[in-house]
Formats: sequence, C-alpha cells, structure tokens
Amino acid sequence: MATTAHSTDVPQVKPLARKRFRPADAFFHWALLAAIGIAMGALVWLTVSVVMKGAGSLDLGFLQDKASSSAKRAGFNSALVGSFVLMLITMVVAVPLGFAAATYLEKFAPSSRAELTVIANRRARALALRKEAGTIGGAGALLGSVSVAFGRVWARIGPPIVRIIDVNISNLAAVPSIIYGLLGLAMFVSIMGISKSLLAGGLTLAVLVLPIIIIAAREAIRAVPSSIEQGAMALGATRWQAVRSQVLPAALPGMLTGTILAMSRAIGESAPLVVVGGVAFATQRISANPLSAGDQPLVAMPLQIFDWVERPQQGQWGPLAAAGIIVLLIALLLMNAVAIWLRNRFTRRW
Amino acid sequence: MLLLLGAADIISILITVGIVFTLVEEGWGFWSQVSLGDFLTGKEWFPVDDKFGVLPLLGGSVMVALLAAIVAVPIGLGSAIFLSEYATPRVRAFVKPVLELLAGMPTIVLGYFALDSVTPALQNIGALPANQTYSFLSAGVVVGLLIVPLIASLSEDALRAVPRAMREGAYGLGATKRIVATRVVVPAALSGIMASIVLGLSRAIGETMAVTLAAGNQPNLTADPRDAGQTITSVIVAVSKGEATRGTINYESIFAIGLVLFVVTLIINIISVQIVRRFRTVYT
Repeated sequence: MATTAHSTDVPQVKPLARKRFRPADAFFHWALLAAIGIAMGALVWLTVSVVMKGAGSLDLGFLQDKASSSAKRAGFNSALVGSFVLMLITMVVAVPLGFAAATYLEKFAPSSRAELTVIANRRARALALRKEAGTIGGAGALLGSVSVAFGRVWARIGPPIVRIIDVNISNLAAVPSIIYGLLGLAMFVSIMGISKSLLAGGLTLAVLVLPIIIIAAREAIRAVPSSIEQGAMALGATRWQAVRSQVLPAALPGMLTGTILAMSRAIGESAPLVVVGGVAFATQRISANPLSAGDQPLVAMPLQIFDWVERPQQGQWGPLAAAGIIVLLIALLLMNAVAIWLRNRFTRRW
Repeated sequence: MLLLLGAADIISILITVGIVFTLVEEGWGFWSQVSLGDFLTGKEWFPVDDKFGVLPLLGGSVMVALLAAIVAVPIGLGSAIFLSEYATPRVRAFVKPVLELLAGMPTIVLGYFALDSVTPALQNIGALPANQTYSFLSAGVVVGLLIVPLIASLSEDALRAVPRAMREGAYGLGATKRIVATRVVVPAALSGIMASIVLGLSRAIGETMAVTLAAGNQPNLTADPRDAGQTITSVIVAVSKGEATRGTINYESIFAIGLVLFVVTLIINIISVQIVRRFRTVYT
C-alpha cells in the first residue's frame, strides 16, 4: 500500500469503468450502519440520560450517608458496603469450588472407557503377579481386588457421568437468574434457616456464578498447551504435580479474568436478591465484616436502586436512583478494566 | 485430592437437583390447592380471589419476548453482518467492546432507562397514550436492547465461521458485497443465527428487573403491546418483595410459576442446541 502511494513514476491502475452506483447495495450498507448505530446510540442515550439526571446528587455525602426514608438525607453507603460484603462471600464460596471443578473436568475427568479399562486391566495384572510372588498379604490382596473392581465399574460409568456434568454446567449457565433466587429462598432461608441476610444473598449469588466461573476457568486451563504438562511429567512429576505447579500457574491469569467478569455479573444482579431477601428498607448502617453477614439485612446497590426507582414522587427519588446507577456502572467499569488489564498483562501466547 | 476436585463437580449436579427439588417441594402445597387444569387454562391471576390461571403471566412473558425479538433480530443480525462482512478491523475493535458494555449492563439499569427515557419517548412519538406509564411495549424495547449484543456476537461467530472460499467463489461469479452477504454467507450460517435468536428469546423470557419496572403491576391477558401487564418473572418479584411467608399460598405460588419458567426456558435451550446439532454444516 505505502509503496504505491509514494512512487509517482508507476502509473496508477485505473478501473476500466467507474464503479456503478447500485441503490440496493448502498441501501443495504446504510441499513447495516443504522443497525449498529441504533445499538450504540441506545447505550449513549442511556449513559447521557443517567448522568444528566444523577450527576447533581452524586457527591461525597451520597457515598457516606446511610439509607434513609427522607430523600434529602438518603445515601448509598449501606448499599455499597452491602454489595462489597456480598461479593466477598460469593468469591470465597464460588472461586475454590469453581476452580476445583474446572481443574478436575479439564485434566482428570475420565474421557474414554477404553483408556480406563486398559488402566484397570494393568492393575489387575500387577495384582495377580504380586499374589503369585506372595509379596502381598490377605488384607492387601482384598483391598487390591476391590480397587480393581472399582476401576472396572468406573470405566463403565465414569465417562457418561462426566458427560452429564458437562451438559449440566452449560445448561445451568442458561437458567434465568430469578430461578436461582427461588433456589436460594427455599434452600438457604426456608430449609437451612439462615435469615434473609447478606449471607443468604451471597450464597445465592455464589450458586449463580459457579457455572460461569467453571466455564471460564476450563477455557483458561484448556488454553495451556499439553506440552507443558507432558514436559513436567517427562521430568518425573506426577500428573497432579504437573497440573499443580505448571498448568494451574500458567492458567491463573485467564481464570482470574473469567472470575472478575463473573463477579461483574453478580454485582449487578438484583432479581435473585429481591426473591431471597425482599427489598430491605434498612436505615441502619450495616457492618462491613463478612463474618457477621448472617445477621445483616440484605442490602446491595441494585436493590437500593430498585427501591428508589419504584417509589412514588420520582422528582425526589429519581435523581438518587440515577446517582446510584452511576456508582454501580463505575464499579462495573473498574472491574472490567482490571479484567482486561490482567488479560493483557499476564496472558501468554504459546 | 482428586476426590476433592471431583466432589466440586458433583456440586454442579446438586445445584440442578436442588433447583428442581425446591421448585417442586416448596410449590407442593400450591398443587394440592389448585388443580393443574385450572392453572394451565385459567385466564385470570388474582390470588386474593384464589384465581391462579397462569395464562396471563405466560402471555405476558411471550409478549415481551416477541417484542424483544422484533427489536433485537434486525438490529442484532444487522450488527453481526456489519461486523463480520463490512467493518474494517479498526471499526470492529471499537464496536465490539461497546456492544459488550451493553451486554454487561445490569438489568435494573435498563429498567430505569425504560421508565425514565424509553416510555416518555414512545409517548412523544405517539406509540403510547400520554398517560400510560407502564406497557409491554416499553419493556419489550429495552429487553430487545438487552439481547442485541447476545444475538450480534453469537451470529457474528457463525458468520465468521463461513469459509472465505465461499465468498471468493461468489465474488468470482460477479456478486456484489450485498449479494455475497445475503445469499451466500447468511444462508451458510443460518443454523448458528437461528440458535442465537432462540437463545435470545430464552434470555428475554427469563428477564426480570427491566420487565418488573416497565411492564406494570397487574396481570393482564392481552394481545395489545401498549397495555400494561405482568410476566412470570415480574409476579415472582412482586410477591417476594412483600412478605411472602413460608406456608402461605402466595409463597407456594411463586415456586409453581418458577417451575413453569424453568421448564419453558429449558425447552427453549434444548431447541437451540438441537438446531445447531441438526442443521450445522461443517466447512473444512
């Protein structure tokens, strides 16, 4: 490109005829541009209208004041603290489970019956040899044959179970979030007897994001080439050692990126929280200590916004809701920025 | 250690079992008081009068999903074709993250947007009567905006998977860019596009907060998108917002309609998987 533009002695190739103007093609092109323009325009419209309405109420006091039934004194502090505690609980519960499940599914799950049968047969042969040689006692022999029998059964049922888990996780990710709210209400509040608290809300959100975290973490683990693991095992590491000290560290940035994106989904969720805890009208300042979350009322940024949007006298409450939305969106943007930074900073191309 | 890792996977199964179990178990009392026939064919949802007909709620959900599809399919598909066939890499690099922002927008924000901006705008252009605060139309429009990024990104993946050789072949026969896009690429990617639309519908049916805020607070069996009404999801929110104590028919009813919602979205998701599986052409 650059060479043809600069060299003047080479005559430019001219098309034989001018490109004919085709109205249908031009119209189609404009229609596509309009589609993308509407999608992006809606986002701009939303942002501008929220900022115009909410910027006036957004000041330091708004972030420091607790919830109140008077619009003049009401602030966002309780909601901020509530969302923070919720995210902590959700992460503490969902991240270890999600990472463990992803590691197992990606690296250790039985994939083929043939492979497992071969392993079981090998064990059976080894056991038979040791029995012949008389190097194994009665209890050991019994234990050995039990483990061989278990291996044979597992070769048969293992792969289908893993397939079911696989399908199940992608289905769970498509279940509407309000269904998780009903699950949380029934499981944590009604059956387990946790009060309608931050703890119940956090556990519900953890269940909600678990499938998302598993899917993201699996992708990150899959992106690490198997040569890394094989190299470690060639040097004498066991499978588990190779995965723990080579594969997982290499996959960690990707797993964390996925986790943050999952958390940014959780922080904006309101439907499951409404179902679990109702809309709290708590006016007290809530504690930021996650250990006492079991007896803190369920307040969170989206819930507070919902409460404000729903009130009559929108002249008073509308600006507060808009200001709350600005804070929520800033939190979301920050989380996304961290995720993008992590991805760009630490992701390696193999 | 391995057993521990495996146990984490069992939890994902337990979650599914837990969902089905709690929806059935907590809603059990409901089914003993309301017959399945009355529930499925009843045209009124009015708990105070013991009228529990699911049709107005199901109708509301379907109405919102259809309106959302009318908004989102042209916009989403148009964006997908633009991104995959027309956009330069630089434009693409700018547009895609913006669409992702829209995809990550909390639905409560879209609900606020519906009440604060979309409804007044619809009133201004005469699509809604001036005194109508709540309407399916407004809810459908914002839910449509919400699923635009979903349809756009999944369809774009499908369009980009169509091999370049097919495009070149069509160009070689003298086709213009529009003809290539509409007669070659889109038909070749149709299974992926259909699947994305079906997934969008499932998302729209399960959508809650935007609908709760924008659609209204009285169940209403209607075919007019300008009317106000409620969906399955917004009834669940409306009931649990107040005091739904365990053991009351109100509490049990939200699990009953939750079960309906779960089954409906599950069926839709299975349909989308089947579409991809049955109609996908693999290009090499």
